[in-house]
Amino acid sequence: MVINMNNAVEVENLRKVYEMHKRNGFFRRTKAEVVSVDNVNFSVPEGQALAFVGPNGAGKSTTIRMLTGILTPSAGYARVLGYVPWKERSHMAYHIGAVFGQRSQLWYHLPASDTFDLLAKIYNLDKVEYRKRRDELVDRFRLGPLLDVPVRKLSLGQRMRAEVAASLLHKPRLLLLDEPTIGLDIHAKQQLRELVSEWNRKEGLTVFLTSHDTGDIENVAERVIIINHGRLVLDDSVENLRRQYEGLSLEEALSHIYGLEVESEETEDVPELQAVG
Amino acid sequence: MNCLSKYWAIAVTSAKSNLAYAGEIGSRLCFLGIILFIFMQLWKAIFANANVAQFQGYTLEEIIWYLAITECIMLSSPRVTPLIDEDVRTGAITVQLVRPMSYPLYRLASNLGEQAVRFAVTVASAGSIALLLVGPPSNFGLGLACVLLALPLALVLDFLGYLLVGLFAFWCEDTSGLALIYSRLTMVAGGMLMPLDLFPEAFQSLLKGLPFGYIVSGPARQFVHPDPTGLGALLGFQILWIVVLALVVAFVYSKALKRIALNGG
Repeated sequence: MVINMNNAVEVENLRKVYEMHKRNGFFRRTKAEVVSVDNVNFSVPEGQALAFVGPNGAGKSTTIRMLTGILTPSAGYARVLGYVPWKERSHMAYHIGAVFGQRSQLWYHLPASDTFDLLAKIYNLDKVEYRKRRDELVDRFRLGPLLDVPVRKLSLGQRMRAEVAASLLHKPRLLLLDEPTIGLDIHAKQQLRELVSEWNRKEGLTVFLTSHDTGDIENVAERVIIINHGRLVLDDSVENLRRQYEGLSLEEALSHIYGLEVESEETEDVPELQAVG
Repeated sequence: MNCLSKYWAIAVTSAKSNLAYAGEIGSRLCFLGIILFIFMQLWKAIFANANVAQFQGYTLEEIIWYLAITECIMLSSPRVTPLIDEDVRTGAITVQLVRPMSYPLYRLASNLGEQAVRFAVTVASAGSIALLLVGPPSNFGLGLACVLLALPLALVLDFLGYLLVGLFAFWCEDTSGLALIYSRLTMVAGGMLMPLDLFPEAFQSLLKGLPFGYIVSGPARQFVHPDPTGLGALLGFQILWIVVLALVVAFVYSKALKRIALNGG
């Protein structure tokens, strides 16, 4: 594989097969293989904001976990910021940030400032640089009055702003956002989207976003990859997708694409919409 | 150095966070008071019935102080297994694994921070209760020095036992049954209720071959019967068991990582 150093993420023929055990009667079990990710190929240039979407069980989380080095693929190759994730996870961790909408990294009973201080230690940040960065993030994410309030007393919107700010403390080159706006009200969603977009533009931060919320995709991403049944079914700019489905909302467009996939599975046709580059 | 400072920071943050559980600490103190009172009455009856001043060199006062220390160790024992269960079951382990740190060391540091708070509060109240019931222990200064040396290794050893049990969550997802067996083993084979010296000799040699006594009985015995030679042997066995368990944990953890599924993903 030819490595392009301008790419934050490079994926080639990535495949993950899980071995499952099916119960057959009370004592007997049979082995079955489930293909979660099936020969996926794509690359993400540094500084791009990408939405990686698909229905539940499509293989999004498996792909993300392979890209963060938590899972080892069954076959294929990936490089994230020049690292092979599953071999160099601890080195790569200094350069990526991650926000998981349903899992908090903030200490629940302590103010967010305590988690920030702890993260500075975990990422070995220089004291002066850390304070400068923290102050900048606190200012931009409007966390000033909230910084010394125990996290359990923050609203979900406030907590998510603190989560994203925490994930940016160590100046990551790649930010992984897994359902970052889940459960937020419209106003809080919009605030968060604007902040992520701003950081993407301002710092050239590569954003890898997964979300079922089409508002996240439209407001944050410039490119969208759709994965379904473990296979990549569409890779195009958000603008092209909108143009292709003029008159439909993005939600309707995605629902149509997912539906086509189901039909193609049933009829074993080659999906017409495949625009994988 | 940087590596140590990050785990130290995790321990300090965990200690701060655990100060928030004031209600839980209060209820534990009530429980401790009741337990110590019951055992005090029980041992009083045993001493009176046997009409002796000592059992195998232990006076009633020493037994009560021994119980106070073992109760403190047991009541502040790690709660790491439900945390690992939850991390694995809900997929929350992802949050920890994308950071530049070791998950077992993160859990160790976090646990030691938590235990420091729990132990400090428990020992303050157990000490007050024991003081009230039987007065100050003999050899207090030397006993305190010995227990302070033996305790950190005892807590690390106890943590490794629980961590090992917790790592089975990668296979069976709910380790509460295993954790219960482990805690009861520590309680009985560790000598929580009475010093291992009071067990029949055949049992004593068996129990000395297991790690539990070096977690519970060893440090408590040093508090009531401080003995520099015995302390040296205790520390040696603690280090030996820590090395053994750390190697087993490293092996099981490496296998466990390969089993990470997508729970909650």
